[in-house]
Amino acid sequence: MGIVHGDEMVLNIGPQHPSTHGVLRLVVKTDGEIVSQIRPVIGYLHRCFEKHCENVSYDQVIPYTDRCDYIASMNNNFGFVIAVEEMMEITVPEKVEYIRVIMAELNRIASHLLALGAFGLDVGAFTPFLYMFRDRERILDLFEMTCGARLLYNYMWVGGLSHDLPVGFLEKAHEFLDYFEPKIKEYNDLLMYNKIFIERTSDVGVLPTDVAVNYGVTGPNLRGSGTKWDLRKNEPYSIYDRFNFEVPVGKGQMGTIGDCWDRYWVRTEEMKESVGIVRQALNELPVEGDVHEALPKKIRPPKGSIYKRTESPRGDLGFYIISDGSPSPSRVKLRSPAFTALSALSVIAEGWMMSDVIAILGSLDIVLGEIDR
Amino acid sequence: MSKYFHDLWSAIFSSMVGMGITLKHMFLIRKGNVTLQYPEEKWPRPERKIGYDLKDYNVIRSRLHHNIDDCTGCNKCARACPVGCIKVETMKVPKGTDLGTTSNDTIKRLLVTRFDIDMTECMYCNLCTYPCPEECIFMTGGPNSSKHPLDYEYSEYDRRNLVFNFAKVTQEEIDKYTIPPPEEQQKDEVESS
Repeated sequence: MGIVHGDEMVLNIGPQHPSTHGVLRLVVKTDGEIVSQIRPVIGYLHRCFEKHCENVSYDQVIPYTDRCDYIASMNNNFGFVIAVEEMMEITVPEKVEYIRVIMAELNRIASHLLALGAFGLDVGAFTPFLYMFRDRERILDLFEMTCGARLLYNYMWVGGLSHDLPVGFLEKAHEFLDYFEPKIKEYNDLLMYNKIFIERTSDVGVLPTDVAVNYGVTGPNLRGSGTKWDLRKNEPYSIYDRFNFEVPVGKGQMGTIGDCWDRYWVRTEEMKESVGIVRQALNELPVEGDVHEALPKKIRPPKGSIYKRTESPRGDLGFYIISDGSPSPSRVKLRSPAFTALSALSVIAEGWMMSDVIAILGSLDIVLGEIDR
Repeated sequence: MSKYFHDLWSAIFSSMVGMGITLKHMFLIRKGNVTLQYPEEKWPRPERKIGYDLKDYNVIRSRLHHNIDDCTGCNKCARACPVGCIKVETMKVPKGTDLGTTSNDTIKRLLVTRFDIDMTECMYCNLCTYPCPEECIFMTGGPNSSKHPLDYEYSEYDRRNLVFNFAKVTQEEIDKYTIPPPEEQQKDEVESS
């Protein structure tokens, strides 16, 4: 018998599929179990965010930025708000800056918990997912007592915040941090240093630094590839230059630099650093101060444009805003970090097996709300 | 060969470490119990005043409520709404008509003939509550149900039931306050017809 030439099979994953982290469709060409081509099809969650911004005023854009990256809404609020503030040359009070950093870092922890838990779920570990959601719930409780919402906050406003911190927030936040820090070790013992997990993720889906830079991949995915690039350190916005924290970089402890395991490890380390930043900010938080002090009466930035980028849990989140002097923006462009991460998927995942593709997709931590906008 | 056995050993060992953690959780289930028997138990909602002295409602956003007795029909909430789920229609009344005052002692000048909130469209951003000068539109929910007896777990079989009509004006009142068009115009119309 000669060699059997099998045809390539085209397989559709999604749009409704649990391991695609949203409504993503992957058109996958498979040669047996080996994946030879991946084409992501996006747009199932398109909500015309950018176009819609042109029809609403600046303060009404903020609830829509919540809905872009709905896992880390505070960070999205933060990015848009400081961009508009820089256009209008507003200096916000110290207290507002500290509260913003506290909220952004708490939301980073919450976002990473979901990313790691869902990644574990993708490779078949169910228990860590439940434990991480249990602890994420406590962060959401903190947000709920602060601004009344658990997922879509609309908390940061141009020039201030919607509410001051409630009574008892500091104690509860300290209590959470004390509770959470030992839990990171628990997650690591449970999942990260598990040999089965290591076998599934190390050396899989290696994203080399040059490919990552060429595709514009940022955030934990880029740092997992060994590049030390964090906007909080490299281009400090807000008051990030006042805090001591390290930028964790993937070292390839379990295999090659830039594999799925490294991306997981970087996220774990980032949670530790975030805990440190929140601790410092809580200790230095000024008691005096009015969060409504610098709120402008009318938000009308002068003519011009601005590009401001911040470090969201998924990478460089950029807002390009063109203002024509009217109360609503003339054009808003959102530079989505998850979109660039997804664009690199077809490069790094081709040639791997079907189950590895799911693991690689899980390690990239994409949010479709932000990709489709 | 030694690598094979080493891997096997580390797989068993690291799995045992993980099993130990889950076992610990099993015995500490009383202490770390996070599952809520939902309809019987309810999650404690944070209670907090958010600055308005008169109404001690809290920050929880569950349902938009409007106090029509205090409304002056200024339309600020409808303009602040990003999705346009608040529909306000007002009517001018003849001079000298007394429509009463709000609880903040503001004289009402307009008759609010329609105040509808479509909760299917609402995005719960809370932006409408801040510009209100009379503080009469607010989000309800949570433990202050004695003050605002509105259930925060609201669901309906028909989506039309989620459009809340707050205006209390009757047709008789509208007829009473309708300013009759000037008489000359009426005559002209009669003649032309």
